[in-house]
Amino acid sequence: MSTETSDLRSQTSEAGPSKNRQRAEWLRENRVRVTVLAVLVFVFVVALLGLEREDWFETIMQGLSVGALTFLVVSGLSLIFGLMDVFNLAHGEFFMLGAYLGWTAYTRADTLLDVAIPLLLLAAPFALMPLWQRLAVSITLTGRARKATAWGFVIVGALAAFFTITRFPLVIWDAENFALTPANMTVQIDLGTHAPLPADTFSGPVIVAVLGVLLGGALIAFGFGTLRKPGTETEALDRRNYVAFGGLLLAALLLHLVKEPVNEWIFGLSTTWRFFLSMGISVLLVAAFGALVEVILIRPLYDRPIYQLMITLGLGFILIELVREVWGRPEFTMARPAAFAGTGEGCPGQGLGGFFSGCSTVEVFGGRLRVYNEGFVILVGIVVLVAVTLLLRRSRLGMVIRAGVEHPEMVEALGINVRRVFTMVFALGSGLAALGGVLAAPSIGLSSGMGAVFLLGAIVALAVGGLTSFPGAAVGALVVGLLQQIIIRYGQVGIPIPFVEEPFKPSPTVVPAASIVLMVIILLVLPTGLLGRSEK
Amino acid sequence: MSLLELHDVHTFIEQFHILEGVTVEVPQGSIVALLGRNGAGKTTTLRTVLGLNPASSGKVIFDGVDITEQKSFDIAAMGIGYVPENRQIFAELSVEENLRIAERNKGDLAGKEEMIFGLFPDLKRLIRLPGTNLSGGQQQMLAVARALVANNRLLLIDEPSEGLAPVLIEQMMEAIRALSEHTTVLLVEQNFIVASRLAQHYAIIEEGRTVKAGEMGHLVEDEETVKRYLGAA
Repeated sequence: MSTETSDLRSQTSEAGPSKNRQRAEWLRENRVRVTVLAVLVFVFVVALLGLEREDWFETIMQGLSVGALTFLVVSGLSLIFGLMDVFNLAHGEFFMLGAYLGWTAYTRADTLLDVAIPLLLLAAPFALMPLWQRLAVSITLTGRARKATAWGFVIVGALAAFFTITRFPLVIWDAENFALTPANMTVQIDLGTHAPLPADTFSGPVIVAVLGVLLGGALIAFGFGTLRKPGTETEALDRRNYVAFGGLLLAALLLHLVKEPVNEWIFGLSTTWRFFLSMGISVLLVAAFGALVEVILIRPLYDRPIYQLMITLGLGFILIELVREVWGRPEFTMARPAAFAGTGEGCPGQGLGGFFSGCSTVEVFGGRLRVYNEGFVILVGIVVLVAVTLLLRRSRLGMVIRAGVEHPEMVEALGINVRRVFTMVFALGSGLAALGGVLAAPSIGLSSGMGAVFLLGAIVALAVGGLTSFPGAAVGALVVGLLQQIIIRYGQVGIPIPFVEEPFKPSPTVVPAASIVLMVIILLVLPTGLLGRSEK
Repeated sequence: MSLLELHDVHTFIEQFHILEGVTVEVPQGSIVALLGRNGAGKTTTLRTVLGLNPASSGKVIFDGVDITEQKSFDIAAMGIGYVPENRQIFAELSVEENLRIAERNKGDLAGKEEMIFGLFPDLKRLIRLPGTNLSGGQQQMLAVARALVANNRLLLIDEPSEGLAPVLIEQMMEAIRALSEHTTVLLVEQNFIVASRLAQHYAIIEEGRTVKAGEMGHLVEDEETVKRYLGAA
C-alpha cells in the first residue's frame, strides 16, 4: 500500500523535482564556468566603478563598439574553424580587404566598374570548362609532368592576362600625385567637391586588349582542366555553358556602354546611400573571393592542416602587399556618411533620441558618444549576431552546419554535399569580416596593418569564448573590446595608488599584452573557454 | 537480382591495405550479414560502399550502376542509408532535427513519421530533447530511424546490437526485421546469434578477404566454419 502511494506521488510530481534536479546538475557541472564568468563581470564592474559616471558610460559604449568590430572578425573565424577545422590566418586581411574595397566603392566607384569589365572577360572562358577538359585529354602526360604542364599553362595565362589588363581604361588614384591620393579623395567627399575622374581610353587597339584577356582566361582554364585526374569522365558541353559564356561577354560589353551613366548615378547618391551600397558591394566581393580561396587553395589540403595554416598565412602577406601596391602605403580615412556627420545648429544631439538627429555626436547620461562609432557600429554588430544566430538555429543550412561541426562524414553519408557547405560558410565568414572592415574604415581609418591588429583581438576572443562556440565568440569579442577600452581610459585618467604621488597611467600599448594575459588566465582555469564544449 | 554487388574490392586507409579482395552480393529484399572477427574489415566494407573510404580497385555496383568512384553524397542520394558504428548522433541537434537533417526532399519526414514512431515509439516522446541527452539504446534507435527518413532502397547497418541490453537487442531485431520488408539490408554484426536470426545470407570476412559466403541456414549447421572464423558456436 505504502509503495503504491509513493509511486503515485513520484509520478504526479515528476516535472517539478526533475527540473530542479536538472538545474542543480547543470550548476554542478558548470560551477567553474559560472564562477569565472562572475569573477569577470565583477572585475569589469569594479574597474568601471573606479571611473566618473560619464566616463564609465562612454567606456562601456566604446568597448561595445570595438567588441562589435572584433565580433565581425571572430564570428567568421569561429564558424570556419568549427565546421572545417581550418584556422584562417588571412582572416584579418579579409577584414582589411573589405575596408579597402568598401572605400573604393564609396569614394571611387568608377574604378570598380572599370576593373569589372576585364575581370568579366577573364572569367568568361571558365564557363566553357568541359571544352577545356576535353581538350586536355589530348595531353598524354601523367603524374608530375602533367601537373607541371598544367601549372605552366596557368602561369602563362595569368601573365598574358596581367599584361593586357593594363591596356584597359582604368581610372585609378595615384599614391604619388597628391591631388589624386586616396587621402585627398576622402577630403573631397567631406567637402562635397568629389566627382569621378575623367574617363580614360584603351591604350593601343581595343581588340588586342580584349583578345589578350580572353586568351589569358582560356589558358588558365585549360591549365585547371589539365589538372584533373586523366580518365575521369568529362561533362558534356551543353547549352548552359554557351549561355554563360555569351552572358559574361555581353555583361562586359553592356557595362562598358553604360559605365558613364552608372557612374553619374552613383556619384549623385547621398553619401549615406552610397555607404550602404559600398557595404553590400564589399561584402559580396570578399565573400566571392573567400569562396574562390576555399575552392582553390584550402580544399586540396584538408588532409594536411599544417599546409592550410601556412597557405592562409602566405595569402595574408600577399594580400597586404597587393593592397600596398594598389592603394599605396600611406594610411587614409574614409569620409563618414552624411547621416552620421552632422554638426552645427542643434548638435550634439541630446539623450537617446539624439542618435537619430543626424548629428555626429550625442550626449547621453553626461557622456559624449559618436553616433557612428557607438551607435551604428554596435547596431550592426547586434543585427549580425541575431541574423547569424537565426541562420544557425532556424534554417536547414544552419542545421547542416551544426551537424557538420560534429560529424562531417555522417552528414555526407546522408547525401549532403558537405564540401559545398564548407565553401558557403567560408564565403559567409569572409563576407562578415569584410563587413567589419567597411564599418571600421570611417572610425579607425585604413591601413594595410589594420587586419593584423584585429586578428590578434579576434584570436583572443576566439580562445576566450571557446573556439567553436558562436555565442562564445560574441562574449569573447565583448571581453576583448571592454578590456581594451578600460585600459585606454585608465591611461587617460590614471589609477590612484596609495602612498604614490603620481597616479599610474597604463599606456595603450599594453592592450595586446593585457588581453593575452587575460586569455591565458581564463584558459588555465577553463581550458575550453567560457562557452566552449568540453571535449571528452 | 542483386541490389548491391562488390567485386574483388581493395581499399587502403592511408598506407594500410585494409580490404584485400572483398566480394559480396546483396540480393534485393534480403538481409545479408557480414561476419568476421574484430578488425577483419567489415566496417571498412560498409564505408567503401558509401565511398567514405573509396576502393582503390575492384567494383562496387548498386542497382546496376558502377558507384566505385562516385562521391559519398552522390552515392547516399541514390538511396543508401547508413547507420554507422558509433551511431554518430548529432549531439547539438534535437531528436527531431537529427531526423529532419536526413530529409532529401521536403516532406520526407512527415511521410515517414508514422512508420518510424511505429518502430520506435520512444523517439516520439524524446522528440524535443538534444541528441546528447539520449541513452545508448535511444541513440541507436535514432541512428536507425535517421536512415529511414529518406527513401532508401538499401540500409548499411553497423553493429546494431553493440552495447545494448538484451531487452533492447530484442527490440532492435524486431525493428530491423520489420523494416526489411520494404528495404534491403547489409548488416555488420558481431553477435552471431543475432545475425543468424535476422539474415538470410552471410559473407565471412577474414583479414580483408571474403572467405565464405552463402545462405545463413547452411552456416548455422556448419559448426566447424562458425568456430573457425567467428570463434563461437
